[in-house]
Formats: sequence, structure tokens, C-alpha cells
Amino acid sequence: MPRLTIDGKEIEVEAGTNLIEAARRLGIEVPHYCYHPGLSIAGQCRLCMVDIEKTPRPSIACNTPAADGMVVHTQTERVKDMRRSMMEFHLINHPLDCPVCDQAGECWLQIYYMQHGLYDPRMLDEKVHKPKAVPLGPHVMLDAERCILCSRCVRFCDEITGTGELGIFGRGDHSEIGLFPGQDLENNYSGNVVDICPVGALTDRDFRFRVRVWYLDTTKSICPGCARGCNVEVHVNRKRPHHAEGRRVARLKPRFNDAVNAWWICDVGRYGFDAVDDPSRIRFARRGDAEVELDEALNALLDALRRHTPAEIAILASPDLANEDLFALRRLTETLGIRQVAFGVPPAAPTPAADDFLLRADRHPNTRGAETILPAGDAAAILAAARAGRVKVLWVFQHDLLAAGWSAAETRQALERVDTLVFSGTNDNATSALATLVLPLAAWVERDGTFTNFLGRVQRFRAAVEPLGEALAAWDLLGRLLGPLGVPPAGARAELWFRELATTVSAFAGLTYQSIGDGGAMLAGAPPTTAPEPPGRRAPAPA
Amino acid sequence: MTIARVEFSSEQLAEVRRLQGLYPDTRGALLPVLHMAQDTFGYVSLEVEAYVAGLFGLSPAHVHEVVTFYTLYFQQPKGRHVVAVCHNLSCHLAGAQDILRHLEARLGVQRGETTEDGRVTLQAVECLCACEAAPMMQVDDRYEMNLTPDKCDRILRDLR
Amino acid sequence: MMAELVLMRNFDRSNSHTISSYRSAGGYAAWEKAKTLEPAAITDEVKKSNLRGLGGAGFPTGMKWSFIPKTHTGPVYLVVNADEGEPGTFKDRYLLERDPHALIEGMLITARAIRSALGFVYIRGEYVEPWRRFSAAVKEAYEARLLGDGFDVVVHRGAGAYICGEETGLLSSLEGKKGWPKIKPPFPAIKGAFGQPTIVNNVETLCCVPPIIERGAAWFAGLGTKTQGGTRMYSVSGRVKKPGVYETSVSITLRQLIELAGGVSGTGRLKAVVPGGGSAAILTADEIDVTMDVDGCKNAGTMIGSAGVIVMDESVSIPEALLVLARFYAHESCGQCTPCRESTGWIEKMVHRIVDGHGRKDDLDTILDVAKRGGGTTICAFYDGAIGPYISYVEKFRGEFEALCRP
Repeated sequence: MPRLTIDGKEIEVEAGTNLIEAARRLGIEVPHYCYHPGLSIAGQCRLCMVDIEKTPRPSIACNTPAADGMVVHTQTERVKDMRRSMMEFHLINHPLDCPVCDQAGECWLQIYYMQHGLYDPRMLDEKVHKPKAVPLGPHVMLDAERCILCSRCVRFCDEITGTGELGIFGRGDHSEIGLFPGQDLENNYSGNVVDICPVGALTDRDFRFRVRVWYLDTTKSICPGCARGCNVEVHVNRKRPHHAEGRRVARLKPRFNDAVNAWWICDVGRYGFDAVDDPSRIRFARRGDAEVELDEALNALLDALRRHTPAEIAILASPDLANEDLFALRRLTETLGIRQVAFGVPPAAPTPAADDFLLRADRHPNTRGAETILPAGDAAAILAAARAGRVKVLWVFQHDLLAAGWSAAETRQALERVDTLVFSGTNDNATSALATLVLPLAAWVERDGTFTNFLGRVQRFRAAVEPLGEALAAWDLLGRLLGPLGVPPAGARAELWFRELATTVSAFAGLTYQSIGDGGAMLAGAPPTTAPEPPGRRAPAPA
Repeated sequence: MTIARVEFSSEQLAEVRRLQGLYPDTRGALLPVLHMAQDTFGYVSLEVEAYVAGLFGLSPAHVHEVVTFYTLYFQQPKGRHVVAVCHNLSCHLAGAQDILRHLEARLGVQRGETTEDGRVTLQAVECLCACEAAPMMQVDDRYEMNLTPDKCDRILRDLR
Repeated sequence: MMAELVLMRNFDRSNSHTISSYRSAGGYAAWEKAKTLEPAAITDEVKKSNLRGLGGAGFPTGMKWSFIPKTHTGPVYLVVNADEGEPGTFKDRYLLERDPHALIEGMLITARAIRSALGFVYIRGEYVEPWRRFSAAVKEAYEARLLGDGFDVVVHRGAGAYICGEETGLLSSLEGKKGWPKIKPPFPAIKGAFGQPTIVNNVETLCCVPPIIERGAAWFAGLGTKTQGGTRMYSVSGRVKKPGVYETSVSITLRQLIELAGGVSGTGRLKAVVPGGGSAAILTADEIDVTMDVDGCKNAGTMIGSAGVIVMDESVSIPEALLVLARFYAHESCGQCTPCRESTGWIEKMVHRIVDGHGRKDDLDTILDVAKRGGGTTICAFYDGAIGPYISYVEKFRGEFEALCRP
């Protein structure tokens, strides 16, 4: 373990750690463009120069491993001067049109110019012109003039996805990134090239020009798109909703977690949040076709639950529900003695497939949580019982049973046979349309909670926006039923439900919101996880 | 100059495999095979790039990177003859610009262009390393040295 | 001053490119001798000979060979840099065409020294005739069982890119990629072609190896200066009466070399000389008493580089000459690292504007400042080569540039 000194502060780092990472651990930022911790070292931008004692010239920090006894200075006059030079070189051919560039506000040219540039521009000649506003597939837009040729996106496609769609063509100051003519960038990770682009060259077609980034708020969350549970940030636009026609969730960005997804998320997850602001959202409770006060709907549900024997009641929970919700539901079923409880519904054909990296075939965030918290049940048997007239009250969470991998006609028969079909979910669907009672649930971005990923990692997500209308988290809804049934609810916060879950279900024993933290924690007995090896590193790289 | 079907003959495919076998990694043979492809198909079209990429198991973008990096691969149809006049320093001192202007006038094209009849592509190129015989040019495979306007005319006359 | 010919000894023989001619002149005797020597003994001999790389960098050859890790058991590659491209240089073309077996013999001996079983000869794509000549010689050497018996040679054609003369750009190109130089460390001797330890040597450098082995390090060292042994081939062009390639001791002065090439042509009055290829800083008429070895040129603030001497008489416009080179560097910059990619194009635009009469005097300071700021900051030596002319032409002939600028 080499021990070195950076700007007078000593630190010991693992062998092989480069000087950018060693400095980062001391809170010292060495400016850089081409270096990215998830990619190979390119050494192209030349911005990360630092002075190392006994080395005649400044060295690039990205390609210099920490060595024992090394004395590094990141703020010498010549290093600062060199950074200024590098900023000037980067900007010679860069358009100076920040006011109309969508990257403004999160552009590392702007940030480093203010921190390390501040020279008077001397470039008076015509800049090199290159293609602008070129769509690179469904999600990414290229402005080649804004590109600083750091090659991060090219290395991403070579080393992470292994798909090799991008290249740097030509040479000299006419070099430009691009696709093989006629090809699209449509691998399932294409959105990541926007994240790693340090400038305005690659922007997100879904996000660009919707809202200025300085109006966005950031919340740590978990992608609900599949059983992986990639760590994400939810960027929401609370301050200027009119800029995006009422769309509150502006975008999802990956959040680094070495145990799950490293720096990356897939496009299925990244662009899969449409339902949150969709017109199909259920904002208020309904009886039949009429919107009613939430309390009225809850009373009607309570009445139905009390009027029937447990054998006449069945519940189809959802692997989209949080651990807290599932635990509250377990309390309810235990209180009422309901045995017919299941959560897994087969997906319709074509059934989703896993990809070769992060995306799982199971497109639900909490199947493992449901398996751990609820007793094993058989959804098909419940439907069969309903069709046979043995179920009087069927309570469906979130699922559209008519779009499941069952015969829609038989399912419809079943749903029409029950006396009281209760639906609680975030969005209307064909199942909710048949329901006699509809209860609105808050979407995952509107509430706190935890999901348990397929490997048993329990991870927290947090409310980023207010629930729409009278929507509630399922634990809250269930808590309001448990009270009248004589069971004191665990509390008015998700965390309190989790605390009770941890004391009740042994797999969660010892876990708290604090111990889960931002990075998650494993269920008892589940081995620690690491992010999977990217496909580009498994096969021989195409580069 | 284009060949309708972009496909090597079985003899050529055997040669591709031989070339690939010469290198510790088959990719080493990419430049030689691209030379072969250009000789066969006239120039390296996108279709040729994609075909060659397939022979190497490479992404076409990576072959496109290579083709656009080197000056000897033509991405557009070229003339039956390529006349490449050196305009680097020693040739410049020996009047390369006069030679280029003379050839432009004779051929009726600017440097970088191909005559309408597809006979000659005229280029201005960097040092060909025959500075002792400046001004000079490369005509297809040959170096033509110590050029004068008259000598250029004689050389052009022989290009069919 | 014309010393004993070492490298060009066979050039005037009839069919000098054939194995029979080479053999009849005593060729491959050094290889026979080398086969009796331990690899380390060969490297030692080359070290003692003070042979320094003749491609441009002037690095001591024997020392370079000794960087191959002693503990490495996998393949080691010998790569010959025949990607001659430095403006004003044409010596390797002569060697490939007129004495290809000297290179093959040099490769055989070097391969033994570095324990390499596979060599690559990277010949620039434009050199079609030299490629044919050399390939024919390789075929002869295979037929004579000189090759194929523990050491194989692959002749590889480039495709037109000056940067492939840079040793790691060459390796990237040999691997079938763009000729982007590789980030160092690791250096090629540790991780070179195809990820294996690799020695890259210039054609002329390797052609010196057989005479060193045959006649001894002391003899070779004695031909040169204290810090550089041997003779070398100077390519002399531009405004001289007898342009051509001249082999002579590295202790010759530039003044003597110009005389050897018949003296200044044109006006007959010398204005400036490029001593070591386009990337060398220019010398004025007062600065030509420099000795033409690595250190002599270095001490004079320029470099011997590839020993391409370009002579300019008084009628030559220095700003126009700089424009030619600035265009060249902008065209040939590989585009990999930012300072070089961005400023070669910018500087060309500024010089272009000056030559066209639209320059401002500020431009000259900007050129100098930009060149100096970018120097020493890039992955490879290309940009350091480019700033040689940028800075020296403007500094030494500033008046000539200012005369073209608007007041």
C-alpha cells in the first residue's frame, strides 16, 4: 500500500490507484476530461497535469499510479498555468454559444473555465465546422462541434457494452466522433454516453431543451425497472413545471454503486419512468365510475373485508410494492386470517428477456422482497377460484391481470365473477377499469421505501415529488385499514414500518434505514454483491 | 470503377486468412487487407468497409476509423491513375506549386479532384521522401522525379 | 571529409539488392559471427559502439535493447521502422532499395540479441518500389534458410500517415488500428506490439549492426564523436547544387556537409538550413558550424533528427516555408491529444493569414506563446517536433514575418 503526500496531506492508497483517485480521497479535485474511473486510461485531454517532486515536467495524474514516498503538488504555478493553456486548447474550436447549449449548467468546459481558465480568448480565425444536431439512435443527439474528443463515449461502447458503434473518424482538428454511416446507437446502454460526455456534444433526446438543469432537484433513488435495483438519482423539475408541460420527473441518472450497477444504468430503466406523469395516473379513489373521498373508499373496503369470511377474500399483491408495503399487507392478512395471497403474475408474451449486463428478465423491483415477506401463494389458483365463484372480494395491487400471461377471456370471467373487485395502483389499466373500488397509490418517486434486489440487497428510495391527488403509499393505505381492525399501525413513516419489519422477518433482522444508507445492505445470509463484469470486458474488445 | 458485388474470390479469402495468420492478432492484417480490397473494388466504399469488418469480426465503425485516418485509402471512386504531387518543403523550394498549377491547367481539375473521364485523380501530398529529386510526384506506384512542365506533359500523355 | 562508406558500401555494386551480390561482398558474415555470441554479448558490443538511433530520437541503441525485461518468457517482437516520412529525409528508401539484405542481416543479429522470433518491417505505404525490393530480398533470405529458422519476418505496408513514424503510432498501426501513439508508460520494451515487449529500430540503425559485429565496437565508435559512433546518411536537399544522400562521419559540420553537396544554389548566398528534417529548429547562415551528431545539434538548440538537411538560399521566403510546414503538421496531427490537435490547425491558420497579408503583429507573439505552451504536454513527440519550426522560424526571422503583417 503506497503512502504518498498530495498538497501536504498524507494518504495511503491501494497499489495501482492513480493520482486523480488518490487526490479525490483527500478532497482534492484534479480537473480532467478524458479520465473516467469506469473506463481505460486514454491520456488525451492533458488537463490532469500535476507536479511530482523529482520529476522535471508536470505529469498526467490519470496515468500515474501512486508510489510510496511520492510528493505531489496540484496547485503549483506552472500546473495552474498549464491548466489554463489546456483550457484554451480545448476551447479553440469549441463554439462559444453557452446560452443556447443544453449542457449549460452542467458543462465541464464552463466549470473548468471558471475554475482554471479565465484567460482572454485569442482565437480570431474561423473555427472548424462539423455536423450539428445529429441523432445517434433513439436516445442520443450529437453536436460534433461541441465535442472535445475525449473518447469516453467510444471507450464506453468498446469496453462496457462491447458493441463498438462509435468511433473517432478522420484526424487532426477535423477528427470527429460518430457512427458507421447508416448504423444507430441503440444498444440498451446508449444513455450512459450522455452521462459521461463532459460537454454538450452528446445530449439526451428525451431531456434536452425541456428544462435548464439549474432548476432541477436531485433525490437518491432506486430504479424500479427490474430486479437489479440500479442506484439512480431522480432529477425533478419542481421549480419550473411549466417548462416541461407539467412533467415533474425530468430524467433519471445513474448513481455509482460498485455493488450493483457501478456507474451505469440501462435505457429500459432510464427511460422507463413515463407512468409517473402519465394521464393514466390514479389521483383519487373511485367507487364504480364516481370519484369519492379516500375515507369513503377505505370504509367501503373495510366493510367488504368485514362482511366476508377470510376464505372468500383473496389478495394479489405486487412485486412492485416496497418491503414496507408488503409487510403492512402481511399484517393485514394475518389479522384477518386471509390465506389466499399471492404476488407473482406471469408476464404476457413476448416475455421480457434479460440483456447481457444489468437488465434482468424480471421487470419488478421487489420480487425478492415479496418472496421474503409474504407466504408463498399461487396467483393462478386464486384466479381459478374466482372463476369458480369461490372468491367474493378480490384485491389486486398494481397488476393488469388482463395483460398477463394468462387467457384474457378466462381472467375476465374471473374478475367479473367476484362481487367486489378492488384495485389499488398508481395507474389505470384494463383491470382497474373493471374494479368496483379503486384506491390510488403513490408512485415510487412520490414516497420513501425500500426494495430488495434479486441478490438480496435491500436499498432505499426516497420521495422526490409529492403524491398526486390523494394517492398514498401502500403501507399508509394499509395502515389506515389496520387501525379500525384493532391493530395499531407501525407509524406514519416508512422507516417505522421497516423497523417493525426488521424485528419480525428474520431475513431483515438488524437492518435499519441508517445501516442501509445510500448504498444498500444485504439480507441476512445473502452474500455480498459486486456489479457484473461489463460484456465489453468479457469478450475481446472490438477496439 | 465500382464492382457490383463486394466479395473476395475464394483465392483472395485464402490470402486474407494467410495475412491474418502472420500476426499475433488477426487484426494486424487489417491494413494489408484494406489495400487488397481497394485494389479489388477500386476504392474503399462503406460497403467494402462493412465487408472487411465482417472478415475480421470488427465493428464497422472501427474499420471506418482506420479508413478515414490514412490517406492512401480512397473513400470515393478514384481515377484510373492517381497523380500525387509532393508539396512539402524541399519540393516547395523546387517549385512544386508551379508543377501543381501546371497539372491543374492541363487536366482541368483542381487538386483533390478527378478528371471527368475518370482518367486521373490529382492530389497534393506531403513529403514522399524523394527530396533529392524535387520537385517530384508519385504516379500510381512510380516515383517521377526532377519534374518540369514538359516532363509532366510527357507523363500525362502516357496515362491511359 | 568523405569518410569510409559503411552503410552505402554496396550501393554501387551491380544488383546490390540481391543476395548473391550481398554475399559476394561479404554479406551475412556478421550473422555467422553473431551466432557464436551470447545475446548479451551482442547487446554489449552495440552499447560499446555508441550507436544511436538514426530515425530521429537518437536514443542509444544497445541501451534500448537492454530494456526488454530479463524475466520475460513470452514473445518479443522486433519492429523495423521503415515509415520514412520526415520532410527532407530519404536515406531509408536507398537502403531498402539498394541494400535490403543489410537490413535483414541487421535484423537477424538484433533478434538474437533481444531473443525475438518474429520481426515486422513497417514500410510506408507510398514506398511501393522499396516494398517490392525488400519483399523480394526477404523471399531470397527465406530460400537461403537465413529466415524461417528461428526468426521470421513479416513485411507490412502502411497506408499514409506521418504519425506512424512515431514508434508507438507505428505499433498501433501495425496492430490494425489508427496510428494513434500509445500512452507511456508502459514503454514498448515492456508492452509494445500486440501487448508484448517490443524493440522498434529504424532501418539505418539496424543496417549499422552487421558492420559493428563484424569489425568491432571500437572501430565503429572511432568513426564518430565521443558520444555517438559511426557514420550516418545525410539526406541533403533544397537549394544545393548536388542534392542527394551523403554518408559521412557524424563529426562533420553542417558547413562541410553543404560543401559536400556542392554548395548553395539559387542566389548562392545561404539564408537558413534545416539540419535534421522538417521538425528540427532552423539554423541561420551564422549557425552552420555545428557538428552533425546528436549532441552537437542539441547543444546548438536544434536536433539532428533524421539528418534531413534542407538548404535555403537568400531568395527563400521563410514565412512561406513555415506555412508549408504548418500545413503539414495540421494535416498530419493524429488528433489524439488536445494541445496538438487544436493548435496545429490554429497555427496554420495564423501563418496562412500572415502570408496572405492579413496578419497582425500580435499573431507572432500568439504563435510563439501557443507553441511554447503546448510543448512537452503531449503523448508523443510529434508536437514537440512541430514547435521546432514554429518557434525558430518566427524568432530567427521575425522581421520577415513582421514585414508581411499589417501595422
